[in-house]
Amino acid sequence: MDGVAAAFSHNATTMQNRLGLGVGLRNTHFDHILAERPAVDWFEAISENFMDSGGRPRAILRDIAQHYPVVLHGVSLSIGSTDPIDRGYVQRLRRLADEVDARWVSDHLCWTGVLGINSHDLLPLPLNGEVLAHVTSRVQAVQELLGRSLVLENPSTYLRFRDSEVSEPDFLRALCDATGCRLLLDVNNVYVSCYNAGTDPQDYLDAFPFERVVQLHLAGHQHCGTHIVDTHDRPVSDAVWALFARAWQRSGGAATLLEWDGNVPAFERVHAEVLRAREFMALLEGQSSGTGTEVPPSVLKDALHESESDEVLSTPADFLVPDVMGRSRLQPV
Amino acid sequence: MSAVAPGLHALQRWMLDALVAPESADRATIDDLVRPGARIDAAACLDIYRRSYVLRLRRCLAEQFPATRHALGAPLFDDFADTYLRDCPSDSTTLYELGRRYPGWLEANRPDRDAPEDEREDWIDFLVDLATYERELFRLFDARGHEGQRWPNASTDDDDLVLQSCLSLAQYRYPVAWYYHEVRASRSPPFPPYAESCVAVLRRDYHTTTYPVSGLHYRFLTQLQRHGSIDAALDDIAAWTGRVVSVVRASWTNEVRRAWIDAGFFVNRAGG
Repeated sequence: MDGVAAAFSHNATTMQNRLGLGVGLRNTHFDHILAERPAVDWFEAISENFMDSGGRPRAILRDIAQHYPVVLHGVSLSIGSTDPIDRGYVQRLRRLADEVDARWVSDHLCWTGVLGINSHDLLPLPLNGEVLAHVTSRVQAVQELLGRSLVLENPSTYLRFRDSEVSEPDFLRALCDATGCRLLLDVNNVYVSCYNAGTDPQDYLDAFPFERVVQLHLAGHQHCGTHIVDTHDRPVSDAVWALFARAWQRSGGAATLLEWDGNVPAFERVHAEVLRAREFMALLEGQSSGTGTEVPPSVLKDALHESESDEVLSTPADFLVPDVMGRSRLQPV
Repeated sequence: MSAVAPGLHALQRWMLDALVAPESADRATIDDLVRPGARIDAAACLDIYRRSYVLRLRRCLAEQFPATRHALGAPLFDDFADTYLRDCPSDSTTLYELGRRYPGWLEANRPDRDAPEDEREDWIDFLVDLATYERELFRLFDARGHEGQRWPNASTDDDDLVLQSCLSLAQYRYPVAWYYHEVRASRSPPFPPYAESCVAVLRRDYHTTTYPVSGLHYRFLTQLQRHGSIDAALDDIAAWTGRVVSVVRASWTNEVRRAWIDAGFFVNRAGG
């Protein structure tokens, strides 16, 4: 690790990574949150929903940041792209992070586009030495521009390239060692990617550099029989809860957040879903005090649900589009 | 080609092409580059990304143009969306910009684009106007506005009044604002007959309001936007209508001024 990486690593160790149980901030919940000030530990805001906003979304985020800890989570940094780093994007991200006192800024180990085109998807990278060197240099540059450590998330993947040579946990460990960046472990993504690749999620967790983890993600997925799609549109599956319990323990109680982006229910339902994490935390505390039991093996088996629709959408982006029509009116003057 | 990671650059170009223009990826190349999944082959793995790419962006476009989608019907809207996304793939880090080029694309790709203007299809003109209006509403929703600052009132001098930044003026060939708000009210408006309309659209307190205005008021507002001066705009109207300035000014002062100030057309020249 060079001096810069060590500096960011030191900075990262001071991160408050025990924020508790948070909820992803979504447009449809704005009015409820403003009116009710629900007892949520913290919120995660999608960076791109707010960083270019001159309207209500940014004003609401500023308001929320005065009452709750806020973390920024991006989907367009494209850290693995071979396009030049979009310095304007990073500078606007930094301004927003400073404005809302973001506890940290995260994005994904992926690329979203090339040649100036954005797919708005989290596309997979081949994991090998060439790509590690490429991503390392870009993480270092972004951290310089951001003035803070970057947190990277393992994405859900549906394909693997033939020229991948190392596992994702090993790739992320090497990236952290070289740059001092930190990690957001999405437990649902682990389950989805491993199922699709035919690998064991327990092996994935065993190899993961938990000492770098500041945050965990939970979400629902759709099982399509031959593969699983990360849909964020339903409750967390039992199998993912079981993985979460082990990941949360190994991370030393990292901040945990639920993402719910498609068919988003009322806020109370979303909040109740993330609070289910307490059941698993209590089980673990019982184990450590000798009064509890193991996480039951039955929850490790996920039920197979055939897809009811061929419109299965990975990481739905509806939540990125505000309800403009709902705030528009026609009026004679 | 990228100076760094040339292998990665070529791979990313290939995969993006495969998403935007699926026929560009042949089966042999897919098998060369992609491992099969645990239960599906390599092409099926890539297809998961292809389907999501189209569905995600199509859905976003539908949310940005709900009234245009209503007018076209979902199947035709989706067909247009797919072609638009292929011709104009997203070039922004934010999906808010996905529909920026859509009205212009509709106009450029109208099937009667080579016909003389008076022989063109009415319904296409209507769709282009409607999409233009929807895009402007979307832009104003999140543009930098005047919320949180002081607004002028009736006692503010004309010299201190300037149009606010979150205000847009437009002329349409069809009553698209009416059509849009009929759709918003969950009604099923018919295709409206030709009727030129002028509107001022502005945002105040994070609500976007469309005010239909007369042709005369539209000209006044346009001049005000151009010159930044109420006196200059009144002079223009006087010259245009052949009336003396004092008569025009009296009309402005007595019939229009207060309502426009209260509605949020203006901010103080010196700022909030």
